[in-house]
Amino acid sequence: MTTPWKWLRRRRERQAEWQDELDSHLAMREEWDRAAGLPADQARLAAQRQFGNRLLTLEDVRAVHVRRWLDDLVQDARLAVRGFRKSPTLAVVASATIAVGVGASTAIFGVVDPLLFRSLPYPNDHQLVSVGYFGPVDNNEFNVVSSYLDWRREKTVFQAMTSMRPESQCDLLAGETPLRITCQSVEANFLRTLGLTPAMGRDFTRDDDQPHAPPVALISFALWQSRYGGDARVLGRSVTVDEQPVKVVGVLPKGFEMPQLGEADILTPERLDATRPRAANSSAPLRTFARLREGVSIEQARAAMLPLFRETLQLDVPKELRSEARLVVRSLRDRQIHEVKLASWMLFGAVLALLLLVCANVANILLAQAAARRRELAVRAAIGAGRGRLVRQMLTESLVLALAGGLAGCGIAWALMRALVEMAPDGLLRAGRTGVDARVLLFALAASVAAALLFGMAPALERPRAEALAGARVAGTARTLFRRLLVAAQVAISLVLLTGASLFLRSFWKLQSEPLGFRTEHVVTASFTLRQQRYRPQQAQSAFFHELEARLKSIPGGGTFALSDSIPPRGSMGRPYSNLRIAGHPPVAANGGMVDFRWVTPGYFRVMAIPIVAGRGFEEGERASGESPIVLSVTLARRLFGNENPVGQQLDLTADGHWHPIVGVAADTRNSGLTETDPEYYRLRMDNSAPPRAAVALFRTSLAPATLARWIRKEVAEVDPSLPVTVEAMEQRVGRFREQPRFVATLVALFAAFGVLLAAVGLYGVLSFLVAQQTQEIGVRMALGARPRDIAARIQAYAGVWTGVGVAAGAACSLAVTRMAKGLLFGVTPGDPLSLLAAIAVLALTAVVAAWIPSRRAARVDPMVALRYE
Amino acid sequence: MRRSDNLQGTLELLILKSLEHQANHGFGITLHVQTVSDGLLHVEEGSLYPALHRMEKDKLIKGEWRVTESGRKARLYSLTAAGRKRLAEAESSWTSVAKGVRKLLRFA
Repeated sequence: MTTPWKWLRRRRERQAEWQDELDSHLAMREEWDRAAGLPADQARLAAQRQFGNRLLTLEDVRAVHVRRWLDDLVQDARLAVRGFRKSPTLAVVASATIAVGVGASTAIFGVVDPLLFRSLPYPNDHQLVSVGYFGPVDNNEFNVVSSYLDWRREKTVFQAMTSMRPESQCDLLAGETPLRITCQSVEANFLRTLGLTPAMGRDFTRDDDQPHAPPVALISFALWQSRYGGDARVLGRSVTVDEQPVKVVGVLPKGFEMPQLGEADILTPERLDATRPRAANSSAPLRTFARLREGVSIEQARAAMLPLFRETLQLDVPKELRSEARLVVRSLRDRQIHEVKLASWMLFGAVLALLLLVCANVANILLAQAAARRRELAVRAAIGAGRGRLVRQMLTESLVLALAGGLAGCGIAWALMRALVEMAPDGLLRAGRTGVDARVLLFALAASVAAALLFGMAPALERPRAEALAGARVAGTARTLFRRLLVAAQVAISLVLLTGASLFLRSFWKLQSEPLGFRTEHVVTASFTLRQQRYRPQQAQSAFFHELEARLKSIPGGGTFALSDSIPPRGSMGRPYSNLRIAGHPPVAANGGMVDFRWVTPGYFRVMAIPIVAGRGFEEGERASGESPIVLSVTLARRLFGNENPVGQQLDLTADGHWHPIVGVAADTRNSGLTETDPEYYRLRMDNSAPPRAAVALFRTSLAPATLARWIRKEVAEVDPSLPVTVEAMEQRVGRFREQPRFVATLVALFAAFGVLLAAVGLYGVLSFLVAQQTQEIGVRMALGARPRDIAARIQAYAGVWTGVGVAAGAACSLAVTRMAKGLLFGVTPGDPLSLLAAIAVLALTAVVAAWIPSRRAARVDPMVALRYE
Repeated sequence: MRRSDNLQGTLELLILKSLEHQANHGFGITLHVQTVSDGLLHVEEGSLYPALHRMEKDKLIKGEWRVTESGRKARLYSLTAAGRKRLAEAESSWTSVAKGVRKLLRFA
């Protein structure tokens, strides 16, 4: 086989040769004319004039060769189509198989491409990093204002550093109705650091970003279009954001994406105030990003930042958390997709394995067909078709098949991608960036061509033998060995897929059946967040909650009611464990991580059905009293008190000298995702307390969520008509946490099922071929006294051997591959023997079924017919 | 292409005929045609070389780099068996066409 390099070199050499030939002609003509008496310079000119356009002639010569190549190609393609018309079933099955393989892999590629491969929507995105502290308080790295002010002086590894406050909601007053939108406060150099400029108007300046500068804003392209009709006069206009007038100075570029993958309707300057005391600035959180200098690696940047990090760690991070905090510098892409990276690679890997299976299957089909065509090929070789010519013909046939399949595959990919977008949980897809485009189509083409080369190579490399001319049944051992290996490989790949699928399914099933510690059925939630501006005075806030509670409680059929600031399975932000003090006890251990807490009304434990295991829950009468009681979770109680009875003890929560009586202990809940239980305590919402502005109203009710939702909205609107409320069934809320595992498990299971089907078809094909090939031999054996049972057993044993080889190889691969999926599994280890055994059992069963029909056919061979065969 | 090349296959016939008795290079072929036809026929290089390559691809002639008597490297073409056969066919068909055309001209 010639390599592409050799081919290219030969092509160049040949072109040079054509040129040499023309040059030699010119030289001879010149010599001739000189011999006839012309002066040397005139002779050259005459020769050139006589010859005419040398380049044009060279072009014509090349065209002769190219056209010949094209003619051959067309001839091959026509031959291929004619061949397929003779055995249409084969061609349809083969291209349908390719269509599914290419379709599935293209769809998955389309989904993971924006996450894994496509560049982020910022120029030189490889230079962008996210920088910050990483600790148990947040899933992502974060920063605080005081540290950032020190860090941003670092100029050796970064071109620029920028920051934003954590995202927040705000209300835009446009006309009469307030609009709840996403506001982001960013540093003046934010867009410039990302490498972007506004689509219209100006960027923020340093002056805009001063603590008391007149308020200005950049609005998103979408907001500009939808609210202001794309009118350029929006620049300089004053809009009302959170009841404050803000001047619009610019419009963000179309399709602008925040670096942490959020949306932004409005950007305002964050106005960090370096003059505030360090203590105040160290409690204000930030997200920080930076652009690396050209040629600086992330490791170098991290090393350069370490001394600064150590310095600010001492100044800004509470003592208890220091040992758990570390410096994170990572690429923006990693920051964006860290939660879905593994899942994305897993799906992409699974679908590529499927594509490989498809190739193996089609190769098998073509090999079977080639066996039948051996005579035709031998004839063509005998009458002078070169070996290269025959290889090319076979490859062209594969290409025709693959492109037909690939075309259908694009349709499948399109449909599948639409389904995936519907199905996929938030975050696994990048909204708006998933769709069929040039890159995806190119992938489909590349996948088809690669597949064609893969499965076309096998039959193409078979050397036609002279014996085949006679029509004799040549054993062709090499080929059948290859086919058996192909089947073994198919079995191995499908075993890997199956093992993966069974792991994911088991993990998902465990996740589904894992007790949450609370009951979700018949619970309806209504969440809302009070606006900062309107409810700034604490009295306004308590008054609002007071009235709302009274109204919601009296909704007819509303059932048991409770109010909390957050609900599991998501933890609250939490506080350091080491801040807790027990009256009359030595200080608690440091490095205890974080403790979740919630502000709840007495009904909370009843609505959530969280059992009180010691002491009692809260009582309505306590809310007016001065003492603010607390309830501990079992985990926290055990950690603080061991075997001692916590009820009746006094606890200081924030080391501020306020003591709270512990009135009870509640059972644990899954409060940190579906799988983890963090220590937790509950505080009673007192009449005079100031709980967070975010709140969740809970109802344990027999009413349908939709019915209740109308009531809730009506009641909320009567207190504050501008407050948006989200009403959801608790099950729906919790279900969101299961979406990604479900998505991955469903897809991998689907791929595995298809893989097993392909392996079965492959095994069936090889065995049928074998039986057809050995009909004569079987006849002889039967004539000599072999029983049908023996014959069938022989075929089945044969199937068993090659399935066994595949299973052994597949099991080894599974153990290696599934280890990488560890982070996606819950309650199952990657080497889980049960999953592997289940996968092997499914495959073995499939193999038995696939082998049964051909072996029965073999057993039914009539010796007389078989012996007369041919 | 001049008037003499207008009939399809004529150039091919000229080339085949030029190579009948000895291998020759492109320049030699143009000289041969010109000399033997007393300057009546003339083969243009722009048509000659594509034709040579096409005929080589069709396996009518075979090209080979050789050193000529004057010590120059040139690509020499010679007839293959298929080429000889084609020459015989082309010659007879040309003769009959020519004969037919001559009769027609006389009649007019």
